[in-house]
Amino acid sequence: MIPPTDDSIPEDPIGAQLDNEISALHEQISALKAQRSIQASTILSSQSTRLTLNRLRASQKQVKPSPTTTDTTPLLSASTAQLSHSRENLYRLCAGITTFRIQDPDPNAVDDGKVLGLRIDVASSGKFLRPYYIMLNKPFPNSELLRVHRHTIPPCIPLSLLVDRYLPHGKGSASMGSKEPGARKQDLRRFARALRKEVVGHHNRVGVIKSLRKEFKLDEKVSRKGKGRERVIADISAADAEAKQVRIEWVDGRIGRCVVGDEGEVRKCVVIGEEGRDFETERRVARGGMEGIGERLREGIY
Amino acid sequence: MSLLSVPTTSALPSSQLVPANHPAVTRILYRLTRPSLLSLVLDWLDERNQETSAPYLLSPDDEDDEQDFYPPASSLPALREIYTDLQARKGSKRDVVDRILEGDWRDGISLYQLAMADMQYLYDHPASQKWTALKIVRLSTDSSAPDEKEHPSIPRFHPATFLRNLQREALPDVKAHYNLDRHPTLPLLILRIFILESPYNTGLALHSAKERATFDASKTFYVAFPDFSPYIYISLAATPSSAPGSVSTSADNKSLRKLMLEGIPKAFSKPRDRFKLEGTSLSAKNLDALVERRGGGKTNAAGGGWGVYAEDKKKESDNPLNVQLPTPESSVQEGEGDQEAIEATEKKRSMKRKRAEDVSVMKRRKLVAKGRFGNSAKPDDGKGIERLDVRLEDHFPTISTSPEEGPESVDAEEPIKKDKKQKGRRSTITLELDRTEDDDELSGDGWRPDVRLTFHGQHVFAGVRELVEAGIVDGEKMPGWMTGEEGVSVGVVKDGRIRGNKGSVL
Repeated sequence: MIPPTDDSIPEDPIGAQLDNEISALHEQISALKAQRSIQASTILSSQSTRLTLNRLRASQKQVKPSPTTTDTTPLLSASTAQLSHSRENLYRLCAGITTFRIQDPDPNAVDDGKVLGLRIDVASSGKFLRPYYIMLNKPFPNSELLRVHRHTIPPCIPLSLLVDRYLPHGKGSASMGSKEPGARKQDLRRFARALRKEVVGHHNRVGVIKSLRKEFKLDEKVSRKGKGRERVIADISAADAEAKQVRIEWVDGRIGRCVVGDEGEVRKCVVIGEEGRDFETERRVARGGMEGIGERLREGIY
Repeated sequence: MSLLSVPTTSALPSSQLVPANHPAVTRILYRLTRPSLLSLVLDWLDERNQETSAPYLLSPDDEDDEQDFYPPASSLPALREIYTDLQARKGSKRDVVDRILEGDWRDGISLYQLAMADMQYLYDHPASQKWTALKIVRLSTDSSAPDEKEHPSIPRFHPATFLRNLQREALPDVKAHYNLDRHPTLPLLILRIFILESPYNTGLALHSAKERATFDASKTFYVAFPDFSPYIYISLAATPSSAPGSVSTSADNKSLRKLMLEGIPKAFSKPRDRFKLEGTSLSAKNLDALVERRGGGKTNAAGGGWGVYAEDKKKESDNPLNVQLPTPESSVQEGEGDQEAIEATEKKRSMKRKRAEDVSVMKRRKLVAKGRFGNSAKPDDGKGIERLDVRLEDHFPTISTSPEEGPESVDAEEPIKKDKKQKGRRSTITLELDRTEDDDELSGDGWRPDVRLTFHGQHVFAGVRELVEAGIVDGEKMPGWMTGEEGVSVGVVKDGRIRGNKGSVL
């Protein structure tokens, strides 16, 4: 009288096997789909495809369309879309800052919901990161003044400072095209450039700190017994949000802090150990750019 | 414990013992569940915590007391074993608390242990505190100082320096115990401040203040410091009714709290670089929501539907190296969205009064909701705020606008819809904008009824989204602040937008 338990035991492995098969098939389907879309876009973006399609279309125009001939219109439009997408990508790759238009979905949005989007593409350590976006609108009636509406800039980038400087919208500020003398003019171009510089600088600093950690093998486990050189640097990390201060810790208890400038140069450095300051290391660290800290430290050690 | 009690201005030491029979100790320990209490005890027994939370151990010259109900263990590992055993066994919480208070920590529980227990409670019950986000702003007399570039936009937070400065701000007749703890999952550092009204920082302080309810909840409060962010979150007063003290003591507590709050920006400041705190009109019980809206990431100023720009997608679809045509997720899921959308609107028009349950209409609503909310405001994302207060200062809809909304108002079957109708009259807004340049000053024309709305629930914006998907709220006419994109929990709506921002975030 206990069939459910009896049945469930032999059924389970089969069920699990089927589940495994199903999930494997699902994975295969998604992989194939991804492959198909890559192939489709490759075919669509090639020059010869376009030529063929155009020729086909021209030939079809002459003869009357019959049900057997394929309709080239969707193919052509797909090809055009692909072309414009490639073009957009090319601009994004080369320019770094691109613009686009957005319609604000809020029915009460200012200026009929017209929003200008700025896209900042940044690459760090060989990879493109998720781009940063700034959305601008013109909230003031009878005025062309721009204002930041939404953005995805993290707070460690001094956005409000840049807005104050290049996109002022308070009293006495004027829009970009205006000829008003003495007014603080908005300058979207310089704003975008300055902002991108900040963003790129931030990522470069973070990247340099990461590579310094790698250089001194700080993220690896210390479990290897006696192999390789003994560790000298205990830790290297960013000490503030902007990664403009680098904290270096030595195994022997010395602690260093260096301040990095906008261009990645080491401006100041302080190293303090138990016997007071270590001027030699300080000089060594502060001698050049931030990316060379590792090399210069190594010179001192070995 | 030192024999002399001299008034001082230093903080209470972490190792300061509180008598084990103190009612507050029992209360704090009893609040925890048995498993978290046991794991807490094992933390106390860790080698590194022995300075501040050492248990009562059997010393070699002690004799075994037959009367002792909980005989003291001989060593730390032995005690650890006992508690690990307790973890595996089932039993009541009371047994564990009794064992702690009458057995292994009979001399008293240190302030550090109490702080740990309190923090454990906070992690176990994330909604037990209501947090208010404040912004740390630079206090500058001359905003256009040339060297402003030199200062970072976020004040550097160095815990030790901060605590030392904060202690300096505290009054001499108030003692505080500070405990910093890292949140287990969120990028937060939580500071627990426990305030004691006494000039002494020794045991005397605890004894003299014993008669008055010293440990009532309103004298502890929490400050959370999100990483790399110019904001801090402070916990508001727990309900004053929980404190048994009279009215006067609760007023005292308020002033103590205020003092501490005033001390925080001063503790951030240093010579020639001063800060103040500013409200951000966001408070919530959910720390996840606060970290998302006022944290150190990208999502601070891209709420609601704008969140799609800030998401970290796993597949690299927003990468300039991606050759594939971007296909919107929704259209992939729904098939040919556009075609159906058009059909759906046509259908909707043709049968206004019918309760539209068609698949295409539902799909259309889902699409609209997706357009307005993006991937935010999902009921299970754990980022809900529990309360949204809004005051409407819009014009009462005038007759001239009613014809254009005629067909829609037939749909209005639910009372909630009627509520929504009062906000955001497009045409009046544009008229208004055209007429008055400075729309911030309250113009005398038209009647602006005083309407206040409070949305209340576990996850307010997820609820609104569900209403949109169910067709109760018109997703296209819904004002933007109902999607949560403003990132505030209190606001005044004028002309359909949260006032003071003009829809901007800076």
